Amino acid sequence: MQAAQTRDIPVLEFPKLTALKTERWLVGVHLIVAFSALSLGLLMGPFQAFRRAPALQWDIPIFSYYYQALTLHGVLNALVFTTFFIVGFSYFVTQRTLQRPLASIRVAWAAFVIMLVGLVLAAFAIVTGQANVLYTFYPPMVAHPTFYLGLTLVIVASWMAGGDIFFTYAAWKRDHKGETVPLAVYATLTNFIMWITATIGVAVEVLFLMLPLSLGLVQTTDPQVARIMFWFFGHPLVYFWLLPAYTAWYTMMPKQNGVRLFSDGLGRVAFLMIMLFSIPIGVHHLFTDPGVSEVAKLFHALLTFVVALPSLLTAFNIAATLEWAGRKRGATGLVGWVFKQQWGNPVMAGMITGMLIFIIGGLTGIMNASFTLNLALHNTTWVPGHFHTTLAGGVFLTYMGIFYWLMPFLSGRKLFAPRLATAQVYLWFIGMLTFGLAMGRAGIEGAPRRTDAGAAAYISEAAVPWLNLTAVAGVILLISSILLYIVILGTLFASKKQEKADAEPPIDTKAPADDPSPSIFENWRVWMVVIVISNLVMWGPVLIQALDFTKGFIIFGFHPNAPIPLK
Amino acid sequence: MHIDKFERYWIVAASLMLGAFFAALIASTIVFGVHLPDPAGRINPADVEDWTNQGFATPGLRDMGDNHYEAHIVAQMWLYNTGDVVDGVPTVRVPQGAVVTFNVASKDVTHGFYIEYHNVNIMVIPGQISRATVTFNRPGTYRIVCHEYCGNGHHNMNAQVIVEPSA
Ligand code: HEM
Ligand SMILES: [Cu+2]
Ligand SMILES: [Cu+2]
Repeated sequence: MQAAQTRDIPVLEFPKLTALKTERWLVGVHLIVAFSALSLGLLMGPFQAFRRAPALQWDIPIFSYYYQALTLHGVLNALVFTTFFIVGFSYFVTQRTLQRPLASIRVAWAAFVIMLVGLVLAAFAIVTGQANVLYTFYPPMVAHPTFYLGLTLVIVASWMAGGDIFFTYAAWKRDHKGETVPLAVYATLTNFIMWITATIGVAVEVLFLMLPLSLGLVQTTDPQVARIMFWFFGHPLVYFWLLPAYTAWYTMMPKQNGVRLFSDGLGRVAFLMIMLFSIPIGVHHLFTDPGVSEVAKLFHALLTFVVALPSLLTAFNIAATLEWAGRKRGATGLVGWVFKQQWGNPVMAGMITGMLIFIIGGLTGIMNASFTLNLALHNTTWVPGHFHTTLAGGVFLTYMGIFYWLMPFLSGRKLFAPRLATAQVYLWFIGMLTFGLAMGRAGIEGAPRRTDAGAAAYISEAAVPWLNLTAVAGVILLISSILLYIVILGTLFASKKQEKADAEPPIDTKAPADDPSPSIFENWRVWMVVIVISNLVMWGPVLIQALDFTKGFIIFGFHPNAPIPLK
Repeated sequence: MHIDKFERYWIVAASLMLGAFFAALIASTIVFGVHLPDPAGRINPADVEDWTNQGFATPGLRDMGDNHYEAHIVAQMWLYNTGDVVDGVPTVRVPQGAVVTFNVASKDVTHGFYIEYHNVNIMVIPGQISRATVTFNRPGTYRIVCHEYCGNGHHNMNAQVIVEPSA
């Protein structure tokens, strides 16, 4: 404890200028790729809404084939943008928090290059129309091999990144025997442990089922088994997106408000619980699958309710911290602190609107998870309605909040037109609330998701006004997206150099000395054992039931454009 | 590790709330009898004999007596074969109050089977038989849609249930 206090190094001293330069470039290029990929993926979104609105039914520009556009939108936004952003952000958090460079900067660059090659390969397949299989690529539908190869490379590279972060932590630990790791890095570690465990499922699926089928090395597969492997990965995937946002709420937001986090320990509990419980619940995505037993579905539903708890803990912890911040600024009464937040600052506005919309995302998520209620919602537009309030809402807005201080910090330039950035945030918030509401209602009226409604042979009359409302939301979101890119380009090319003083990133470099957490929290061996056992119990029987031990794999592959088996 | 008094209340309240939600969903199954799909057997779409034996060579509705019906439906790119067509739309025609068990199998890729306003929502995965039972209490026409992307013509894949009023 004593040692921790004397080791209090001011943030600005780190690291030496040379290191700072590589750090800037390393994190910077991840963000550049992330936002370049996003620009195309994002453009598709509003036009999908216009296409689906009965009042418009416009063709989508450039990618007029609806499912090609939707594949691009899903892959670029949900897989590519997120992964690049998260890896870059995690490097930054690790280095700044631990006050040391990554264990191996070479590995980090190698991972970046591999990830970029993966992105190019996958994008090639999609853009040339050879991978109209959506971002979940369920077999027996088959895409061009480069699509699977590209995704594999992205995953492998993310493992390298996670390993690099872990070795950095291990080196820090050797130099700081007995010290508790700061919360931001604790969160990053739980995120990558969860991610690496979960991606084993999809890696096995892609390498052993999809790639061989796509290359013609084998002719048959098993779609139910593949879906099980995919969703072993699929639910942790959504937490992989979420945890960096939680990291910002827990460890940056307090500092940006000049207060400390309400409870560091319960923050750790939240991250730990998510790491443990996000994988053995994935069957909640398979509630309507014929090859998974109802009993397994019930158990996974139960644990899904357990994993809601850390998010409820987070709600309290963050709200209490914001209350402190408000009171520190002179708020009085029961709710006065709400009005004393930095509502006009794009960084805080991004995070707080993210938290607000995430409440809706969380509640609709609990509805999805509610077992029999899922029968009314599964695969209707309700589902994209839900995850545009979580991923494209809470997570994305928080990422914007991060981005609006990280980009100026990395580029050494002032944020261009901060008012525009604030407007971007609020337009996005309103747009996504509208979009979520409209998609949700249309879904309850029976509108199926992933459907080119503009060309469909049928339409549910009751869903028409709501689908039209999604187009209104699309306009708002399109404007917001344009503002985002104006701010980005403005900052990079038309903005003044920044004074060093306001360049300090909101990073906490040590765990609170006055409220230590139990050391078991950092005993990764124990948690690995828990993860392995719980998943063997929760997933083992599901997989064994789905495997056909007498006939093996018997289902032929198909291209999405013809009902002819690929023999 | 210090835990604030109010935070403790919050944790208890949140846990109770989640527990209540879970109790409600168990009640929906046990008390109200709403079920999620359970494995109903395998089928090999490429094996003609298997396909025929399991009733999918001749899709359609069978009267099992006592107001119970059994429907066999084939899902394929990009239509349903229900054994009956009304105005160009594949149709299942049942009397009001009928209890219908749907058996659906895919000939090719993964499809969906969703009947609007009726709690029938099931994936149709090649290799598996999808089964759902539902009672049609209100007369009317209810659309069946494929709600899982199944290729180029996915948005055209639909059918209907016509529930005829009992005299
Ligand atoms: C400009 C804002 C956006 C709009 C208007 C928009 C619109 C849409 C629409 C209409 C769909 C559903 C299409 C369908 O089911 O037929 C969709 C799907 C989706 N969106 Fe967005 N979106 C936006 C931003 C985002 C962002 C920022 C992300 C993620 C970071 C995202 C991730 C997804 C995903 C993963 C899907 C599902 C794709 C699939 O079903 O295969 N969207 N979006
Ligand atoms: Cu999930
Ligand atoms: Cu379909």
